[in-house]
Amino acid sequence: MDLNPLVLDIVIFALTGISVISMVRVIIGPTTEDRLIGLNLVVAQIVGIMVVVAVKFNRSIYLDVALVYAILGFVSILAIARYTGGKEVQK
Amino acid sequence: MRILIYVFLGLGMFFGLLGNLGVLRFPDIYTRLQASSKCGITSLLSILIASMLIKGITPMSGRILVITLFFLITSPVASHIIGKRAWEEGLIPWRRKKPGKKEN
Amino acid sequence: MINVFLKWKIVRVILTSLYLVVGWILFTGNLAPFSIFLGFTFSFSVALFTYNIFIEEREVARRALLPRAYLLLIYLGVLIFKIYLASFKMVLTIITGDINPRVVHFRTGLRSEVARVILANSITLTPGTLTLSLDQDHLIVHWLNAKTTHSHYAGKLIKGSFEFWLKKIWI
Repeated sequence: MDLNPLVLDIVIFALTGISVISMVRVIIGPTTEDRLIGLNLVVAQIVGIMVVVAVKFNRSIYLDVALVYAILGFVSILAIARYTGGKEVQK
Repeated sequence: MRILIYVFLGLGMFFGLLGNLGVLRFPDIYTRLQASSKCGITSLLSILIASMLIKGITPMSGRILVITLFFLITSPVASHIIGKRAWEEGLIPWRRKKPGKKEN
Repeated sequence: MINVFLKWKIVRVILTSLYLVVGWILFTGNLAPFSIFLGFTFSFSVALFTYNIFIEEREVARRALLPRAYLLLIYLGVLIFKIYLASFKMVLTIITGDINPRVVHFRTGLRSEVARVILANSITLTPGTLTLSLDQDHLIVHWLNAKTTHSHYAGKLIKGSFEFWLKKIWI
């Protein structure tokens, strides 16, 4: 499939802008959970950016990076949710 | 085929933007979590489906399929973990005030 | 005479490594003999350490691990279609801002652990509901546009047809 290469550029820039918007919730969120929600969105959008970059330049090494980044984001959200906060959470 | 790819890419960006709007607008953790879990998953899923359609049946497409399956499994689990933490910490869910009732 | 537990352990190890090998072949997309040999070796050595986490002892049975695959594929397709519908409803809710959130509790009748987890994930992905806690067979669900708080009717409305199809797939 040969697309107009400008389309993928537009998608990459739009996803970058969207992830900047979702950093706002990370900064202003009153509780830790709000910040975690923002981080979850940022991880999803960065995985999307990685996949689009891999398709654009036709390099499959970026897909490995995307998979490892998805795994790391999941594990880090799990760790933050588990080991911060009050005593009754850390059972 | 090309129109389908454009539609999926557009849907991905549309849901990403609206999901962020919902996260910024809703009043409570649980409602924000609803917006982020639905729209975040849909936006990433649309982009991955569009890139699978661009690549056709190649080894790269298989890797993208693995990423899609992984994300489809772990993303609800991550939002479930955040919700469970908020529930166990005792955060009270927001409720709409009834119009006839007196507030205190 | 071979021990019964040892027999089931061997079955669990082999099943875990088969799942891992399928993932390896999908991810590398490379059918050279050296690559497949490497995949089998690493899958087997990882499965030796993790079979106890991946498959619990009382879960091991033919129906619990290898369900009816064609029904599962149809279920995945329907689920993706429902995710899109749910997102459109969510966008409407975000634009109008008309919400009435409640928390409801109900029970499920599914036996298998994997089926319960898939039910919880499906509930999270359908419109306006989010699983907060899954304890044995007891679910706590946050509902965005609550119509009722009665446990039985709420369960019927939320689970919908998911539980019926999952029962067909996994018993």
